[in-house]
Amino acid sequence: MSEKIAIIAANGGMFDAYKVFNIATAAAASEKEVEIFFTFEGLNLIHKQGMHHLEMPAGKEHFAEGFEKANIPTIPQLVETAQELGVKFIACQMTMDVMGLTKEDFIDGIEVGGAVTFLDFAKDAAPTLTF
Amino acid sequence: MIQTNHQLDAKGLACPMPIVKTKKAIIELEEGQVLEIQATDKGSKADLTAWASSVGHQYLGTVEEGDVLYHYIRKGSNEPEVEKSYEHTVSLDEIESREGLILDVREAAEYAFGHIEGAKSIPMGEIESRLAELDKEKEIYVICRTGKRSDLAAQLLAKNGFTKVYNVLPGMNEWNGKITKEV
Repeated sequence: MSEKIAIIAANGGMFDAYKVFNIATAAAASEKEVEIFFTFEGLNLIHKQGMHHLEMPAGKEHFAEGFEKANIPTIPQLVETAQELGVKFIACQMTMDVMGLTKEDFIDGIEVGGAVTFLDFAKDAAPTLTF
Repeated sequence: MIQTNHQLDAKGLACPMPIVKTKKAIIELEEGQVLEIQATDKGSKADLTAWASSVGHQYLGTVEEGDVLYHYIRKGSNEPEVEKSYEHTVSLDEIESREGLILDVREAAEYAFGHIEGAKSIPMGEIESRLAELDKEKEIYVICRTGKRSDLAAQLLAKNGFTKVYNVLPGMNEWNGKITKEV
């Protein structure tokens, strides 16, 4: 069984964030080595300001109440937990160039890399998940 | 209530936090000790069972009281790495037909989730302080999960003047007979 889990985060909404960080923290808590590659809208999930204002899908805004009622941790809390557990975040250099973003626009502790950086990690990871 | 070495309050937390907290809490335990996790997340039973088996701990069981789930996990599943050296042994098949006391030296939580009817529970770590509860004149059949802790326990009893002591091999993990639970 592989001890590595690779995740591609390609979307930037609230639901996407939960899918990514929930699986990532659970995997890290199970002593897996976890890397997340943030690309295109996915970069929003680790953007210093953006991550605090993630949007619900249109028409699903009423779920906000459900999140609160179920005492679901906030995304910034999950991000902190993930980093504490050693999950590695890689921001996609190419997307950053397209969007005019620099490393300083993102939370601390991330790395910047290209597709090959991620593929090198993912080559012996199982599973590789895309959100 | 089942006696454990450590308790973790994860009530009110949603997935994946009970797992994250458990991972952090179990670091404080020594190998072989038992952690009680109190949770209200209904998925936590399936999650902790899977987590324990993937990380290498022993999931013992869950007790439900009202809205709270009490999960029990024993750290590590490896028994002490020692050569069994106590020479008087009996096989598991034989003990039902023998007279005497079955002494179960696993942790209290392991005993609670399934033991041989009539067996007395004294966890390995408590034996030395509870010798007075045992009768030197009677046969004592010492049992644990795999035969290793019971080997150490049998040696300890022999050192304290007990002469009719037998280590039961292999142990509860191979027991197919009737199981009594105290949960």
